[in-house]
Amino acid sequence: MNVQIDVVILVGLMTAAAIYLILARNFVRILFGFILLSNAANLALIAVAGDPSGKGAPVVGAAGARAMVDPLPQALILTAIVIGFGVTAYLIFLFYRLFVDHDTVELDDVAARDEKEAGE
Amino acid sequence: MNSIILPVLLPMLTGLLALLWARPSTGRRALFVGSAALQLGLALWLCARTYADGALVLFPGNWGESVGIVLVADLLSAIMLGLSTFSALACVLFACAERPAAAEHPLQLPLLQFLVTGVNLSFVTGDLFNLFVGFEVMLISSYALLTLESDNRNVRHAWSYLALNLVGSALFLVACGWAYGLFGTLNFAGIAVESEALAGDPRVTLLALILLAVFAIKAGLFPLYYWLPNSYPILPGAVAAFFAGMLTKVGVYVLLRMFGTVFPPTLTIVHELLMWTAGLTMIFGVLGAVAQTRVQHILAYHIISQIGFMVLAIGFFTPLAITAAILYIMHHIVVKSTLFLVGGTVRHIFGHDRLDATGGLWRAAPWLGLAFLLQALSLAGLPPLSGFWGKYLIIVVGVGKGEWVLIAMSVVASILTLVSMLKIWLACFWAPAPDGKVPVVPGVGRLTAVTAVMAAVSVGIGLGAPFFFAVAERAARQVLDRPGYVAVVTGRPAPENMGSILP
Repeated sequence: MNVQIDVVILVGLMTAAAIYLILARNFVRILFGFILLSNAANLALIAVAGDPSGKGAPVVGAAGARAMVDPLPQALILTAIVIGFGVTAYLIFLFYRLFVDHDTVELDDVAARDEKEAGE
Repeated sequence: MNSIILPVLLPMLTGLLALLWARPSTGRRALFVGSAALQLGLALWLCARTYADGALVLFPGNWGESVGIVLVADLLSAIMLGLSTFSALACVLFACAERPAAAEHPLQLPLLQFLVTGVNLSFVTGDLFNLFVGFEVMLISSYALLTLESDNRNVRHAWSYLALNLVGSALFLVACGWAYGLFGTLNFAGIAVESEALAGDPRVTLLALILLAVFAIKAGLFPLYYWLPNSYPILPGAVAAFFAGMLTKVGVYVLLRMFGTVFPPTLTIVHELLMWTAGLTMIFGVLGAVAQTRVQHILAYHIISQIGFMVLAIGFFTPLAITAAILYIMHHIVVKSTLFLVGGTVRHIFGHDRLDATGGLWRAAPWLGLAFLLQALSLAGLPPLSGFWGKYLIIVVGVGKGEWVLIAMSVVASILTLVSMLKIWLACFWAPAPDGKVPVVPGVGRLTAVTAVMAAVSVGIGLGAPFFFAVAERAARQVLDRPGYVAVVTGRPAPENMGSILP
């Protein structure tokens, strides 16, 4: 495996930004944080296929005499993207429900409101 | 052998069929019960097959082992399938007894079937990425079940479960990529062969540690257990029992598979780490349980503490210790599901499970009390109940290794387990009822019947310990037989130098 340093740096930056966003107390930021995190993970997965420059598409007959790009990471990332979609949809639903129930987008307010209700 | 895919296909098809048959009715319930019974029968048949003949292998799509998906069922997988289908059956029956069909949420039982699909896929898969898919199927169903019927106040507890698992999933994905880059294959057998060639490479160790973190989140190991005691108590009784019995044990199973079969036994740093996190998990889990004042909360903390025992056995990493871990898993899943069903029944009777406002159940529901007492003592590890044998073996191995601190921790955890179980016993069963009499609600008899059958099975595991020990020993042998696993999956003899701790 030849390391592509630019992809490594990109994944690192995306992960850092994702963690920064996830640690916020605002739903919308957390949501974007998780979307970014799953994309960073997908990118790390596809980077395993190595540098694609000069290689042909992994389709029978399309690559000709050239070497083919490793198709397996592409199959994996496709699965991972679909799963990521499903989880993101669920996450949006959960935040929407918290927003409707508590009328706020701050996690701290949600907890505080619940405790106030429990005390009453 | 095509029958290995059935434990995955059957629950999936049942769930899909039930989605089309949208309205809950007696006939629809019969479908679930019938399907769950069929799955249990199939799993037990697989147990018998793998006990006699060793691992069964299936290549769906016939792509071959280097690029395609492979399903492998050895005795440990078959045992886990048996336990998951057994507790699923009990949960379906409990859910049916809990309320009339008209009051049932139409999505609850289909989602439970999808959850079983994911759990079973994790048990039979033979490659890392498919394991990821199995985990995700399981997690998405569990997210949905968690929020399906929770009220507005409880719904926020789903968040901690979701958040930690999302991070775990991303980490797992990166680990899959890493493994493919490092070994050129995601197949368990392939990784086992390739990691032998890379023995001592720090990249393999790092990969093992990342995977350890991922599975520690699933198993609820210290310090990654925060999500568990917050999220489980918000579930309805029947579903909570399945979550409590199975979901964390999927993590334990994968730890066994990964560090027993896939990675070489020379990764002692992982074993050390497992041992000490297990010790801390036991202590912190049981301390959490002692501090709680609700039945389901106490039981949820106990899951964590018990996970510590199983992982401690994996950390000791001798053939006998792995046998003990498997024996402990068999005991634990049945006992834990039963206790959560008892908790669910308490909630069904009183409408809540706060210890200070319950009581009188010993007189009102003596069979429920007996079931609880047996399971609670079993959990604490009193002979000859099922919990004793696993704990005894773990301590025997620990004494052999001279790990006195860890043994002391496990003994303290056991005593505190008894203390917190007594707390439930005294408050719910022994103390007089809060208003002088226990509320009379319909269906308690049926709920108690399900619980009592589960308790009887657990007592059977305790009394039939020699038989179950023999099964667990053979399962442990198959898990640790790395050359044998590689030979079965690839169809070629394993390389000569493959490490294994089997004599």
